[in-house]
Amino acid sequence: MAERPSAVAQGPSGTSNVALRDDELQRIKQRLGRDPSVVELHAFDAQWSEHCSYKSSRSHLNALPSSGAAVVLGPGEDAGALHLGTHAGERYAVVVAHESHNHPSQVVPFEGAATGIGGIVRDVLCMGAEVIAVADPLRFGRNAHARHVAVGVVDGIGSYGNAIGVPNLAGDVYFDAGFDDNCLVNVVALGIVKEAELIHSYAPKGAEDWAIVLVGKATDPSGFGGASFSSLTLDARESETNKGAVQVPDPFLKSVLMRATYRVLSLLRERKVTAALKDLGAGGIMGCSAEVTAHGGYGAEIDLDLVNVAVDGMPPEVIAVGETQERLLWILPPDVAAEVVRIYNDDFTLPQVAYNARAAVIGRVTGDRRYVLRYRGAVVMDVDNQFLTGSIRDDLPYTEVIRHDVPAQEPMDVDVAALLPRVLGHRDVASREPLYRRYDAVVRGCTVLPRGAADAGVLAPIPGSPLGVALSVAGNPRYGRIDPGYAAEHAVVEAMRRVVAVGARPAGLTDCLNFGNPRKPEQYGEFVTAVEGLARAATELDLPFVSGNVSLYNESARGRAVPASAIVACIGTFEDVAGVVTPGLKQAGSALLWIGSREFVLGGSVISDLLGLEGALPSISYPAERAAVGIVHDAIVRGALRSCRAVSDGGMVTALARLAFDAFADGRTVGAEIEAGNPFCESGGFICEVSDDSGIDLTGALRIGATTDRRELMVNGVSFDVAELYSIWSQPLAEIYP
Amino acid sequence: MSARIAVPVFPGTNSEEETVRLLRDCGGNAELVHWSSPELLAGYDAYVLSGGFAYEDRVRAGAIAAHDRIMDYVIDAAGNGKLIFGVCNGAQILLEAGLVPGTAGLRKPTAAFTKNAPVPHFVCRHVYLKLMIEPERCAVTASLPRGALVPAWAAHAEGRLAATPERLNEIVSGNHLAFVYAHADGRVDVAAAPNGSALGCAGLVNGRGNVLAIMPHPERDGWNFNHLDRSEGESVLAPSGGAILFRSFVEALS
Repeated sequence: MAERPSAVAQGPSGTSNVALRDDELQRIKQRLGRDPSVVELHAFDAQWSEHCSYKSSRSHLNALPSSGAAVVLGPGEDAGALHLGTHAGERYAVVVAHESHNHPSQVVPFEGAATGIGGIVRDVLCMGAEVIAVADPLRFGRNAHARHVAVGVVDGIGSYGNAIGVPNLAGDVYFDAGFDDNCLVNVVALGIVKEAELIHSYAPKGAEDWAIVLVGKATDPSGFGGASFSSLTLDARESETNKGAVQVPDPFLKSVLMRATYRVLSLLRERKVTAALKDLGAGGIMGCSAEVTAHGGYGAEIDLDLVNVAVDGMPPEVIAVGETQERLLWILPPDVAAEVVRIYNDDFTLPQVAYNARAAVIGRVTGDRRYVLRYRGAVVMDVDNQFLTGSIRDDLPYTEVIRHDVPAQEPMDVDVAALLPRVLGHRDVASREPLYRRYDAVVRGCTVLPRGAADAGVLAPIPGSPLGVALSVAGNPRYGRIDPGYAAEHAVVEAMRRVVAVGARPAGLTDCLNFGNPRKPEQYGEFVTAVEGLARAATELDLPFVSGNVSLYNESARGRAVPASAIVACIGTFEDVAGVVTPGLKQAGSALLWIGSREFVLGGSVISDLLGLEGALPSISYPAERAAVGIVHDAIVRGALRSCRAVSDGGMVTALARLAFDAFADGRTVGAEIEAGNPFCESGGFICEVSDDSGIDLTGALRIGATTDRRELMVNGVSFDVAELYSIWSQPLAEIYP
Repeated sequence: MSARIAVPVFPGTNSEEETVRLLRDCGGNAELVHWSSPELLAGYDAYVLSGGFAYEDRVRAGAIAAHDRIMDYVIDAAGNGKLIFGVCNGAQILLEAGLVPGTAGLRKPTAAFTKNAPVPHFVCRHVYLKLMIEPERCAVTASLPRGALVPAWAAHAEGRLAATPERLNEIVSGNHLAFVYAHADGRVDVAAAPNGSALGCAGLVNGRGNVLAIMPHPERDGWNFNHLDRSEGESVLAPSGGAILFRSFVEALS
């Protein structure tokens, strides 16, 4: 029965630092029939934050397609899953998660970015999967502070990912003044699991009286208020006080925790036990245990005195809601729980790995749907579990985004000789190697195409199997600023093109929506339009979204939101990684084809940035996109495709230059001679090197030239030395990442 | 019964799975042994220390692990002439344990793989190791051709060989310099090393020739799918590239 919690929130000490609005607080009081206790107040504050509840965004996200033959698990749990293939009679899935750690990374770049990796890795692990890859889409500003953020974030990602032994497979980075006050640090993680062995993040049937087992780092005061912190706009004056809301990463503990959890997973398989596992993220012990039980139709009773803590005397609300990193929560039959605790504490010596880290039974699953917390013998929280975790909705008003009608430009005469070096040296085009060289791309020994080698990274994740996974990311902020909806469509299309360019079959998508303040109708309108754009593109290309994340309030104290940033990752699959399209031009005498749209518009392009021009975004023709993918696949099947790049930032000639650079770096003397309208056109499509007698259907393809046996790029009659261009392209980011 | 190889796992080790896999694919009988049961390490015929961040690289990479109970067994085995092979963090541990170059005594390091230079950052880069000793000088390399090139990935923040000039002379004169960094065509110059390593050193062997420590990871370029330039008709899953060194190790045990 519901007891009356002893400590009742009073005065400023109870209500300060919570982001709940007055109307929300009234709703809680009405439902409880009393004032909430301090613990309850902080619990609702976390659970009803945008970060946990998606209260304003959820109704729009339902528009994203999330079903299809390849979908093993759609959105709704810690991660989604896509079918990869069958090996030795077993069906395998790729687990896919996408998160943001934007706000923490702006305040403390190193720790913020590192904990971002830590959190996403747990999301994948919780599905019962082995973590096989991470990827980072990054958006940094251009001022002095942004540079400090850019360095700290990359070091944080590297130090964490390298230590836990998960390869960094893909990612991108843009530098744009729109991110001066709010960087974006998104992170994608992939896992591999047998489909029959997926673990869910809700208590299974018959779980009443099962044990709730907390595993990992000792709970400490770090990360208290993190969920609501992420749902506030950043004010530079308050960034010092906000630092307490950022968690502290411990990759060393995580490395051990991951391996111990793999051991537990194999024990559960032996015992044929269906358990539940969930990552502790926003809302801490409370958020995690409430959701994992509520989603199974249960309640929970937890004794906070059984929680392993780092310091004595922490108030119960901090133990309950604080977001200490490196923790997981299991729902297990009591007899199995004892064995699991032993594996973590004895076999993997958690208490010796980090101070007071351990696994411990802290409570049980109940059948009465109450969520009850006890502390020092008293009930400090007792609420309806569904009310706490159920869908609260907040349908916010938004302003329709008007698509600006920009007149189509007359084709301009471009000075190729002057512009090509400037384009290749542009910060958004130049080699990313100085950055990604700081990440381990090859640990686990499964890497086929490491990060930076091609448009997508590729892995062969299952020992003894040729099945392969490709991963790419996309999302151009220059596009986002011009037209949020169209930018989102382009992000889907470009992410897809990138996995196609390495020879993979696109299987599915995941997204992170990074936008401004949802309480400002014009900023929220950008979000709504972007979701519509994602839905349109994914539907047209028949690609499901299996997971995703929303990060709102990316707005500075000055009221400036980040450029609309729908960032998309595409997962592709290979039946046999022997079919990977390897990097770089291969030989002289090949035909060079430009497949796909060749519409020349300036909007969002690198040359518009360089020349200070404006224009409309490239249009998207879905039939043409599907046809272009068909031509590339046809060329692969015929064995005619020698190399390929998707056209992206810097345009068609940049894609061609990259093919030449890869050949040059590999010691092959191959160049190209082309004649092609505006070579800086970024409208999309592919540049393909094919054997001259390939016999592929060239409808929709344009032959722009051929490869040569010279270390030269000849573009519209202008000659460039590949080595000189390579040097211009490879230097700029070394200035930030020496 | 083929020789048994132990791959010990310290807290923080992260390359144990692929190390065991490649040893097995090269015909070795390898298994993991966990830090909570070091006593199980007794009686193996050979030991391979894999990469990672044992004990979080506290103090200096390998410094704490060198004093772990696991190393009591490894040191004992080395003294009995058994084969010991360390890669990356495993190599750092072998140096800290004083097993290589091994000129001053146990747990008395005379050189260290330490912070990269000139930029003290983690670096992930494909490299080649060039064999600088007579192959039979070291049991692990005995099956390699003279001057062999082994493809591998450098992936470390602390891989630069550092020692006093006297100790460096000792390494050269004692034929301890087993591998240096090289380019794909076998050329050796300063640019080939990703970390500013003294002598261009990528690997060291002890005096007796039964303990080898290398910084780069051959097991990350150990199968055809890792490099995709296989010969016609060969399986994409076949060991190749860096596997040459693992195969030589396994052959030394038969």
